Amino acid sequence: MNMVNKSYPENRLENAPDHSLVPPCQDACPLHMDIREYIGLVSQGRIMEALQVIRTGNPFPSICAYVCTRPCEDACRRSQVDKPIAIRSLKRFAVEFGGDRMVRAEAETTHEEKVAIVGSGPAGLACAYYLKKSGYPATILEAHSDLGGMLRVGIPQYRLPREVLDIEVQRLTRMGVEIRTNTRVVSLDLLFELGYKAIFVTIGAHQSLRMGIEGEESPGVIDGATFLREVNLGLKPSLGRKVAVVGGGNVAIDAARTATRLGVKKVSILYRRTRAEMPADPKEVEQALEEGIDIKYLVTPTEIKSENKRLNVTCVKMKLGEPDESGRQRPVPVKGSEFREEFDTLIAAIGQAPQTPDDFGVRMGRGSTIQVDPSTLTTNRVGVFAGGDAVTGPATVTEALAAGRLAALRIDDYLQHRYPLPVKEAKEKLSGDLLPETIEMIRKIERVEPPSLASEVRAKDFETIELVYGWEQAINEARRCLRCGVGVEILFQDKCATCLTCLRVCPYHVPYLDASGTIRIPADQCQACGICVAECPAKAIVLRKPFDRRQVTEELGHTIKSAVESKTKPLIIGFCCQYGLFGTGTLARLWRSAKAGVSIVPVLCVAKVEAAHILSAFETGAEGVFIAGCGEQCARENTTYWVQQRVAKVRKVLEPIGLEPERLQVFALGTTAEDPAEELDKFVEQISALRLASVIKGEVES
Amino acid sequence: MIVAEQKPLEEIRRMIAPYGRVLILGCGTCMTVCDAGGEREVSFLHNALQLAQARSGDVAHTFSEHTLKRQCDPEFLELLTEKTADVDVILSLGCGIGVQAIAERLPDMPVLPGVNTSFMGMTKESGVWDERCAACGDCRLEDTAGICPITRCTKGILNGPCAGVKNGKCEANKDMDCAWILIYQRLERLQQLDKMRRYYPPRNYRTIPRPRRIMSKVDTVVGEGDG
Amino acid sequence: MANSLFEEKLNSNDFIVTTEVGPPKSVDVSEMVHHIELLKDKVDAINITDHQSSVMRFPSIGGCLIVKELGGEPILQMTCRDRNRLALQAELLLAYSRNIVNVLCLTGDSVDVGDHKEAKPVFDLDSVQLLKMIRTLESGTDMGGNELKVAPKFCIGATVHPEADFIEPQLIKFDKKVAAGAQFLQTQGIFDVASLRRFMQYASQFDVKILAGIIVLSSAGMAKYMNNNVPGIIVSQAVIDELAAVEKGKGLQKGIEIAARLIKTVKEENLCHGVHIMAVGNENIVPDILEAAGLVNVSG
Repeated sequence: MNMVNKSYPENRLENAPDHSLVPPCQDACPLHMDIREYIGLVSQGRIMEALQVIRTGNPFPSICAYVCTRPCEDACRRSQVDKPIAIRSLKRFAVEFGGDRMVRAEAETTHEEKVAIVGSGPAGLACAYYLKKSGYPATILEAHSDLGGMLRVGIPQYRLPREVLDIEVQRLTRMGVEIRTNTRVVSLDLLFELGYKAIFVTIGAHQSLRMGIEGEESPGVIDGATFLREVNLGLKPSLGRKVAVVGGGNVAIDAARTATRLGVKKVSILYRRTRAEMPADPKEVEQALEEGIDIKYLVTPTEIKSENKRLNVTCVKMKLGEPDESGRQRPVPVKGSEFREEFDTLIAAIGQAPQTPDDFGVRMGRGSTIQVDPSTLTTNRVGVFAGGDAVTGPATVTEALAAGRLAALRIDDYLQHRYPLPVKEAKEKLSGDLLPETIEMIRKIERVEPPSLASEVRAKDFETIELVYGWEQAINEARRCLRCGVGVEILFQDKCATCLTCLRVCPYHVPYLDASGTIRIPADQCQACGICVAECPAKAIVLRKPFDRRQVTEELGHTIKSAVESKTKPLIIGFCCQYGLFGTGTLARLWRSAKAGVSIVPVLCVAKVEAAHILSAFETGAEGVFIAGCGEQCARENTTYWVQQRVAKVRKVLEPIGLEPERLQVFALGTTAEDPAEELDKFVEQISALRLASVIKGEVES
Repeated sequence: MIVAEQKPLEEIRRMIAPYGRVLILGCGTCMTVCDAGGEREVSFLHNALQLAQARSGDVAHTFSEHTLKRQCDPEFLELLTEKTADVDVILSLGCGIGVQAIAERLPDMPVLPGVNTSFMGMTKESGVWDERCAACGDCRLEDTAGICPITRCTKGILNGPCAGVKNGKCEANKDMDCAWILIYQRLERLQQLDKMRRYYPPRNYRTIPRPRRIMSKVDTVVGEGDG
Repeated sequence: MANSLFEEKLNSNDFIVTTEVGPPKSVDVSEMVHHIELLKDKVDAINITDHQSSVMRFPSIGGCLIVKELGGEPILQMTCRDRNRLALQAELLLAYSRNIVNVLCLTGDSVDVGDHKEAKPVFDLDSVQLLKMIRTLESGTDMGGNELKVAPKFCIGATVHPEADFIEPQLIKFDKKVAAGAQFLQTQGIFDVASLRRFMQYASQFDVKILAGIIVLSSAGMAKYMNNNVPGIIVSQAVIDELAAVEKGKGLQKGIEIAARLIKTVKEENLCHGVHIMAVGNENIVPDILEAAGLVNVSG
């Protein structure tokens, strides 16, 4: 039976425009990564594809998977329901299970113009990667003996294993990026003289800020950046038994935790504001506390005296006063609250600044940063671009990667004499919070925290703390994603009869009638469950691209085609949910155990299987059809109800056609205690018997 | 709106039996809203008929499908010309009006009703429709607080409830509210119970000599089919 | 001057007793004849039901003719379910011509409760309109305004439901029936004297005779069945319990006892003007009830 002679209306969707909105996670990501897409792929167990999506937006996903500060998770709308999606951990899962270290980056040199990259921090590495990808001969010049900048000398190993960094560096080398280590650039003119046509200055911000208090020069006082650099380069500075770290940023936390790992018994952090104002990643702060680090809030040192090889530190208590220009409340000393405490070492980690050689001849701005045009990264010198911490002051790895990527683009523009076009968002951003009634209906599902080393184990050495998800954990976590901005839209407004079916069937109360009496389905609220798509009597609603790369009909066609190619006629066709189940193994077992003649049509939630799809499956000649969904474990609402409705509808017409209702079955895989493969076996037997019976009946009749 | 139900598949198969090429024609207005003959139902029926044909081994029919915005206006039906070029019969999923409009417009084309046109009503909830108007042509809703006893009382009586009401429900259907109890309650709330105390004479059925026609313009030329 | 013996009785202050006989689904009327003969001299009038519960039977007018032949006093039950205004008027002309003048005007049960559920329900008129229509015929014109050469004269009644769980709209309708000319009202089955008493407090202001409907039950099961399936009947839980308490086979006896007790109460307390006994298929036992209630052979 060919299915071609029916013109499926879905075909009109092929040229349908992509009206999806940019979700908040993507918007918050400095690299603008398509997070929603790769989380979706992870939830379906399509890890290789997920990695592909990740690699498209991020040159060094393995690094980000360890050290990204996760602005995406802060923006995640799931936190309005319960807790945000563990995006970084899922990326880590995808890069490890997807085999990122095996990915080979290849690049040909197609341009002659050489580009020099001064500094090999994340911005420099990213810039080199993209320039090389675009065909430019790129050279990295690094003052240290190894590449990585802050990734190597700043971030402790327990947060970023060095082999991860080494793999990325090797990848760059294989791509043909020229690397010159132990090379400190003192003059840009020289580089131009050497034939470089453009220079990207990305020398970081390694110079620690001074506290500006008496006794700062005492032996035993060390700055955070220097301390971390020494440890990261393999030195083991002697710290004594009692260490104070001054500051509240990530460097302060890193320094304190590193000190703990070096065997210091008592590490205290002195921070002049409260925990709420701490700029450090809250998760890192939490872990530091777990490791026994003491944090004294609203305390700042005012004087250090060196006595008997110890430091006698005078501190003052603070209180929060008027907000400063950053919006945070300015701490003010409390009169007469001074106290003294003795430490062996004091690590000052109150901030860092770039240290740009004057000979570079670039204009400097506030805090010794290099001044650039933020959209082109051009400095006051022609052909000289700058980015990363050297421009922004200490910022995140991801921001630096984004700067490196932008620099590569702009250097390309510059070298090709193109007028740099302002970066403009092609798609509309998703706006607004979820409505309370929508939040109410979204099922609360606990966030799956990635496994990590126990605090008492991890504080002893520099082993990586965060471990990677297991397959099932990752998939369950990915299934929590609300897929913001790829909901449905009324694509065929001319067909909409304003019957209000969508408004009535939506479990999330999303569609509404506007004042003019037109039905609206706001994309920023839709949960993409697809129920209205399958129920709209006018077939006017579709899921926004790229939600369904393949419609159910296409998937069905594809399944039939492969059955025909393998010269088997499908005996049974099963519509199986691809969310989660594949990963948790149930569907995977079903696939494996599928007998000859059982064809499986993967679908993104069985709520999207329409009654007509079921009939189409029978039309292909299948003797039995089953629908295997997640049952009660489905992350969406009312799925089972609608599947039952459609099954009832189909059974009503199967009967007069002479097909027994048992030929259509629903398996709720998530809930059945029995082995689904066994259930499938039973179904196969049943269908075989029915077929045999009808063959005999046919012969008797003839 | 008009509410209908799709006919059983067997009946539809019996009707189309003498014809080869069948155009399944949906209607994008009332029949879409009541889930009886919109594009989705057209498509579903198309699948069902094709499957029935495949399973029976009899390949007498070829099917095509189309949905018009509305079948009950001649201008929409003109859009059909192309679609009907190689068609032997139209299986209309329009209401009874749509079927007749097609019959009037296409004198040589057989047309079959795919739905049973049931009543004029409203959506109670998704998938549930209730009859509300009998189109009697003599509206009394003013006297009955906006609740029609002609339609909603199984006997259509005008002077109050019969004695068959129990628990506020109708004797003919225990799930159905007695219209007269509803009328009483609403009149009471509106402080208009005097309306219920009035005697209402027998209805003037002469207001509905069938078929009816409404002419909203002056000097309308009485056309063909004036019956 | 009274049109009939029954009307004469209505106009007296005597306690009135009526009962009813249901025609058969048959052309053999012998059982009905037997019932009529058994009852005609013991009650003031016999109602002949009109396709009761919408079950097709021998017609009410036919039953009334037999009552007449046997020398009894019939009450023609006339529903609006099966006849439009032409048929109703015509039948009234027939009735009057055969001296059948007592008419009980009913809307009629729904077709859906009967045995011809696919029949077209007519309900061209309702009970109030039927009462009015009869008064119109009496005035010498039919409903179309055409003159009748000789006008009939009837004694007309209707029904009322004092135990309805929603009484107010029923009372409004009662008012309308009285205003339309009803001379007597036979109530739906009464099981609770208190509700009759309450109703009579209201109804006594009208110049109309009220006959309390007495239904004879034979078992608790029957009572429950009637509650669920027979329009206009609400058997109280107390009565159901009383019936349920007796041993098997003694149900009918209990039913007779309950009916007789009710009748006695109605009469002794002078609650209303009479009773209408509905034996629902057990017409044979009506004399036993009358005896148990201490009602002598009233129409002698």
